[in-house]
Amino acid sequence: MATIELVDIKHTYVKARTETHALRGINLTFKDGCPSALLGPSGCGKTTLLNILSGLLKPTSGRVLFNGKDVTDLETEQRNIAQVFQFPVVYDSMDVYGNFAFPLKNRGASHSEVEKRVREVADLLDLSNELRASPRSLGAGQRQLLALGRCLVRKDTAVVLLDEPMTQIDVHQRWYLRRELSKVQSSLNVTMIYVTHDQYEALTFAERVMVMKDGLVIQEGTPEELYQNPQTPFVGYFIGTPGMNVLECELEGDFLVFRGFKKYLSPGLRKRIQSRGTRFTIGIRPEFIHCELKKQENWSPLEVSIIEDRGEFNILTLTVKDISLKSQVPGTLKVTEGDQVWVNFLEEKIKFYKNDQLIN
Amino acid sequence: MGITVENIKKSYGRNVVLDELSLDVPSESFTSILAPTGSGKTTLLRIMAGIEKPDIGRVLYNGVDVTSVPVQKRKVSMVYQEFINYPSMTAYENIASPLRVSREHLAEKEIDRRVREIAGLLKISDVLGHLPEELSGGEKQRTAIARALIKGSEFIFLDEPLANLDYKLREELRGELKTVFKGTTIIYATPEPIDALSMSTHVGFLLDGKIAQFGKVHEVYSRPMNAEVGRYFNEPLTNMLEGKLVRRGESASLRLSEELEIKVDPFLKYMKENEYIVGIRPQDLSTVQDRVHMVPFEATVDFTEIVGSFTTLHLVHRDKNLGIVIYQPEKSHRRGDTIKVYLDPQSIYIYDKKSKKLIIARGEPIAAG
Repeated sequence: MATIELVDIKHTYVKARTETHALRGINLTFKDGCPSALLGPSGCGKTTLLNILSGLLKPTSGRVLFNGKDVTDLETEQRNIAQVFQFPVVYDSMDVYGNFAFPLKNRGASHSEVEKRVREVADLLDLSNELRASPRSLGAGQRQLLALGRCLVRKDTAVVLLDEPMTQIDVHQRWYLRRELSKVQSSLNVTMIYVTHDQYEALTFAERVMVMKDGLVIQEGTPEELYQNPQTPFVGYFIGTPGMNVLECELEGDFLVFRGFKKYLSPGLRKRIQSRGTRFTIGIRPEFIHCELKKQENWSPLEVSIIEDRGEFNILTLTVKDISLKSQVPGTLKVTEGDQVWVNFLEEKIKFYKNDQLIN
Repeated sequence: MGITVENIKKSYGRNVVLDELSLDVPSESFTSILAPTGSGKTTLLRIMAGIEKPDIGRVLYNGVDVTSVPVQKRKVSMVYQEFINYPSMTAYENIASPLRVSREHLAEKEIDRRVREIAGLLKISDVLGHLPEELSGGEKQRTAIARALIKGSEFIFLDEPLANLDYKLREELRGELKTVFKGTTIIYATPEPIDALSMSTHVGFLLDGKIAQFGKVHEVYSRPMNAEVGRYFNEPLTNMLEGKLVRRGESASLRLSEELEIKVDPFLKYMKENEYIVGIRPQDLSTVQDRVHMVPFEATVDFTEIVGSFTTLHLVHRDKNLGIVIYQPEKSHRRGDTIKVYLDPQSIYIYDKKSKKLIIARGEPIAAG
């Protein structure tokens, strides 16, 4: 397994005289044996980055290093990359054993070496009972595991790249594949890079998550760091279900104010932020916005415009003038659309931003 | 009045997809047709819209039989998974197109007004001049939805319209779609319970070619009348365990395992059989004893998923797989750890094992018949 470094990677696509700057300067290190995720919305550049890692694409500028060795100009086959795609890449004409054995046989491994290795990998992927089955009889999740297994039989695989591997998997079956991926990763200590737009997949799989937007890495960290301390409003919005609410506010005396809504701030917090001015962008997660039907001291009223039932809890869209916020409330709070509720933000969970950077 | 589907049957070769299916979609409702992929939702939608004809049975719009009326002659709109737009027309022209071909012969000024109104509602005013290839996935789908809305159709059919969109976008659109469609009758096919819960007024569960249950969303959610509906209509899936009735003198319990028994004394008169299926929602299990009368048992941690504000624990209890969802931050458990789990016995759903019918829902018996 390898440590992968990306040094100042830039990539521009030119099509019919239009230039698209897909990657605008990426500097990343993927540590040996670490599960990482590239997370971002469609168009952020994550797939372009993956293709540069695999060798499918040569970057416009910048270098790719595997264990310190410059591989930028090497073809895919020379990089010992293995890739799991959106569609399971398996040979339906061979049984499961044959699929695993193929990459080894191709390299002239002996019969007993092949036998040993195939059984090891099949065991790890819980496919031991399916070795003589046709891939067609497997579920979509198992087919993906088979595709992954084919990557892992070769012991010289430097890194496994996964490109939205859950796309074809039924939503309810995904946890099974997530579990198997995590199990394999930790047992073999495989360097795995997982590309997705789905924060749930990224946060459950990876130890390090790189959030991308518009060709840049906005923040890199553990899932917990990204959730607790989003460095920019975008990261806070992108992580979390639903994401963080982002608002423009002004500090007026003891209160944080927007459109007439007032949030009281304790003296300690006020002191810390007022050196930075009076205008802020704040972020507050729906789970840290509390609502009550009865008036509470120092809370402010907002109107409930939409209620989304999530079973055990509800997501309320709260509005005042042109501003909307989402709040997560227990299912026991009896509200209807059009009601007024009293709202408070949990002070210690408010994130303050100035010029798109976190200041607290 | 809405849409009435009467005993329709549809087969492809020997494959019976819809089997004497009947359904009443109330006027101005947002009705989700919920079922796993491959259950026949698309077929049902196509028959309701008039794109396909049923082998037998009828479809009625507001009491009028429209079964043999081709879709072009009906006042309906359809939105698909694959964002379908005319590639050589701008977003503006795409949205205007249904008005341009309609018989109403509207003035240009009126068309412009309506296009801009709908575009505003769907937040695509800024990209009206773009071609579809220049739009993001979300913008393409909003354009398709705008085109469906502008006709002012009484019925709009949507077939998993969010399936090809990013996770975040799906989240955003769910709240928006709820408001955008007010006043129209919406029929929305989806395999995701969250779509049914967060957007719909009504839900119909498609199972084995029939509608297993139909009703207001919260009613179906709190009283799933069939074990399969109970299992599927939750995110994550409801844990389903087999239980044997064990009598001890006057008292009785449902034994789910050697360690886990739930007293069912108050329900004995409704429970005449010996074997039942018990549905336990992951949200109703806990790692702390936070309610009185909780039943404790032990389980081994198989997998932990911590996502920001909630955690899903996958556990194994005596060879059975169980899932728990916890809404407060939880420390990370390692695979193989043994932990104590608590079940609120009032939260379970008891189904008859043979008929799969619901007998007790969260401590309340279901009236017979």
